[in-house]
Amino acid sequence: MGITWNRDAAAHLLRRAGFGGTPKEVDGLAALSLEQAVASLVDYDAISLDAYETALAARGYDLTRLSGLQRWFLDRMAFSPRPLEEKMTYFWNLHWTSGLSKVKGETLILNQNKTERALAMGKFDDLVVALSQDPAMLVWLDNATNRVGRPNENYARELMELFTLGIDQYTQTDVTEVARALTGWTVTGYNRATNYDAATFVVRADYHDGGSKTILGKTGNFDGYGAIDVILGHIDSAGSVSGRFLGGKLWTFFAGTYAPPYVVDELQSVYTASGHSIREVVRAILLHAEFYAAHARKAWVRSPVEYAAASVRMLEGQSDFSAAANALAGMGQVLFNPSDAKGWEWGESWLNTGSLFARVSLANTLCTNRGAKGTTFDPAALLAGEDASKAEDVVDLFAARLNVGDVSSEARAAWIEYMNANDDGTPGRWTNTPDNVDKKVRGLAHVLLTSPSFQLA
Amino acid sequence: MTISRRDFLIRSAGVATVSAMVPRWAVGAARRFEESVVAANPNRTLVVLELMGGNDGLNTVVPYADALYPQLRSRIGIPVGSVLPLDGRLGLNPVMTGMKSLWDAGRVAIVTNVGYPNSSLSHFAARDVWHTADPLLAQRRGWLGRWADAVLSETQNPLSCTAISQSLPRTLLSDSVGVPTFLTLAAYQYQTDGAHPEDSGNQVNAFLASSGEEYEIESTPAAISGVGQDAIASSAILQTVGTGYVAMGAYPDNALGAGLQLIAQIINANVGARILYVTYGGFDNHAGEDADHDPLLTDVSGSIKAFFDDLDGHGKSKDVLLMTWSEFGRRAQDNGSNGTDHGTAAPHFVVGNAVAPGIHGDPPDLAHLDANGNLQIQNDFRSYYGTVLTDWLGADAASILGAGWPNLGFLNRSYA
Repeated sequence: MGITWNRDAAAHLLRRAGFGGTPKEVDGLAALSLEQAVASLVDYDAISLDAYETALAARGYDLTRLSGLQRWFLDRMAFSPRPLEEKMTYFWNLHWTSGLSKVKGETLILNQNKTERALAMGKFDDLVVALSQDPAMLVWLDNATNRVGRPNENYARELMELFTLGIDQYTQTDVTEVARALTGWTVTGYNRATNYDAATFVVRADYHDGGSKTILGKTGNFDGYGAIDVILGHIDSAGSVSGRFLGGKLWTFFAGTYAPPYVVDELQSVYTASGHSIREVVRAILLHAEFYAAHARKAWVRSPVEYAAASVRMLEGQSDFSAAANALAGMGQVLFNPSDAKGWEWGESWLNTGSLFARVSLANTLCTNRGAKGTTFDPAALLAGEDASKAEDVVDLFAARLNVGDVSSEARAAWIEYMNANDDGTPGRWTNTPDNVDKKVRGLAHVLLTSPSFQLA
Repeated sequence: MTISRRDFLIRSAGVATVSAMVPRWAVGAARRFEESVVAANPNRTLVVLELMGGNDGLNTVVPYADALYPQLRSRIGIPVGSVLPLDGRLGLNPVMTGMKSLWDAGRVAIVTNVGYPNSSLSHFAARDVWHTADPLLAQRRGWLGRWADAVLSETQNPLSCTAISQSLPRTLLSDSVGVPTFLTLAAYQYQTDGAHPEDSGNQVNAFLASSGEEYEIESTPAAISGVGQDAIASSAILQTVGTGYVAMGAYPDNALGAGLQLIAQIINANVGARILYVTYGGFDNHAGEDADHDPLLTDVSGSIKAFFDDLDGHGKSKDVLLMTWSEFGRRAQDNGSNGTDHGTAAPHFVVGNAVAPGIHGDPPDLAHLDANGNLQIQNDFRSYYGTVLTDWLGADAASILGAGWPNLGFLNRSYA
């Protein structure tokens, strides 16, 4: 099965390895070879962030407030010159999430996000250690209170179930033994009365259970590092358990499908051979023929934050992400504040009648805000230099820009009918006037952004 | 990534171009199944309250007469002298005064030690088990979704199953019945350009046309299209349910109070709601349960009391039953963080005029815990569900849950 590398494939790659591309970005990527295109996204350290970071700082998001954190991260998703860095940081945010409602300290949440960004493509072991020592995580899943003689199982269980091995790969005894090993990894400076944000990681020898533990069949006087070594070294008859778990989850995140067994095997081999390199697993996914298969295209349901970022980015709009942050609760994803350790379910469960209407309202803000501030796009600018004399022209132009040209001829006909319709719904004829652009092109963009096809990446 | 493959094509009979694509066997199978279920009690509404995170049953319905209780709960136990006694063995957490007044009125059944064997103690697996009523996790649809497919699929009522929730509860996941899902109704409509209201109808029509394309059955675009159709169909009615409604219960100011009040409005509006679902979270109290749990139970108890006061005031309580569930109870022994780790069996509440009031089942047996220090299961959760299906919804529970789950007798079978 070969890969046909063309504009459609490049647009697919930009939807998955980033938050969607503009026509110019798609053209640029399609002009490279597949390997060059993937490398340009994966090896992102070569791209300077200096100018973007300066511009971002100038926008002045208040990082001491939840909404400010959300807007700051959404801005990065939409506008960072390293889209895959943000996509991977977002993956870890979904995977290893913590919620402000319990953690309380906004700075701790910000620092967790920075840790996830810094280690996003590194060695998995380093990420496991860093998150297990992350103050927000220590508070969120209670390892901060896990002490000798009074173990708390919360983090130990999720470390194996959600973060490294997957359910049914360990026993309840393993949970209690890992909890014992993790005793003493706690925080200092976390003051519930005065300052949540000053917490730092500390190893408290006096809290640690130094006795012998048996974890996944291995016995020793393990501490946290020892337990993580055992977990990440855990091999069963099918090979590295964490390699399969991580490879399969990354596959689903990028390809939008469940990984076929042979793909899981391949990704596990890459994981093992590369010394647990996340970057190499991601590269293997983005170069995989199965990733470009027809059934993988438009198979990923955009999450609310992906929807918010992609809609602005693909319309080349501007945003302070205030409207998006306000819409997150209604769309079902309060970034940095999930309701439990697993975070959110992916896929179709993002979309129900209420969350769809919340997307409709957010898209309406983007499409109809005619002021200079907030969230806006410029319909006239997107039509400049294009032939927009017929309704068909405008529909096809915007459908291509938003990657929703894959719809049936009936849907395309309905969009053309909308462009031509008089106010009373009777058939009329679109003409390219400034007034019509301001009314009907804005309306068309809204209809396209709320169509089933744009909910998919 | 299809956890929901709702076959909107069957439901959207108005989309004539696609109805021919419905395989005949699918319609036939649905009809045959329906005929096997007695679609009785068409006016009755079931309210399902999910306590997300694993509610600590031992600090909710307290075995205050058991000398082991204060030993196991040396850090966070409820002082046994403070409980609201239900009988000589069990008492409610003292904050649950609203529930106690409903109990005193003979409107509460408590089913004890509910769970299922061999739980992995994972939140997420346990939730799926309870949602689907299948410990093997082979069922895709929810237990009430299967009921809805059998009984409601041809009603074409967009509000027969409704969830006050951020996401669609899998309990209601069905092949043929859409589920309006929302936390508030403030923005529950297809909002369009405020500068051009005259164009709004055209936009909504274009949206519906986009959502009515010929998508492959069971595909993700078909599921999303179905959601879009359901959204438009339900929004017109839901925008009106609050009209003329005046609360006749004192709802507490929290998300559960707001959710149950929305449910009361929907019931009051007589829109044919059969299943109404609401979730309330925060029960995963691994640490600091001594500070966090009582406020949650205060919310639960006060909200349920206000809900029934409201229904009573509107003359609507006769045909309403509320049941609670949670993915598991908690470890019998408290942990060193003043919390509790994941457990197994727990008590659940059934509230309404149709209950056989009282405690159904034994008190938790604190002297005989399992190897992990958890409570033994006495009443399988499928018996808990089955009793509701049979005696409240008039359904053939075995066709939905499988055979062999004894009726627990917590509903009054002669209630009419």
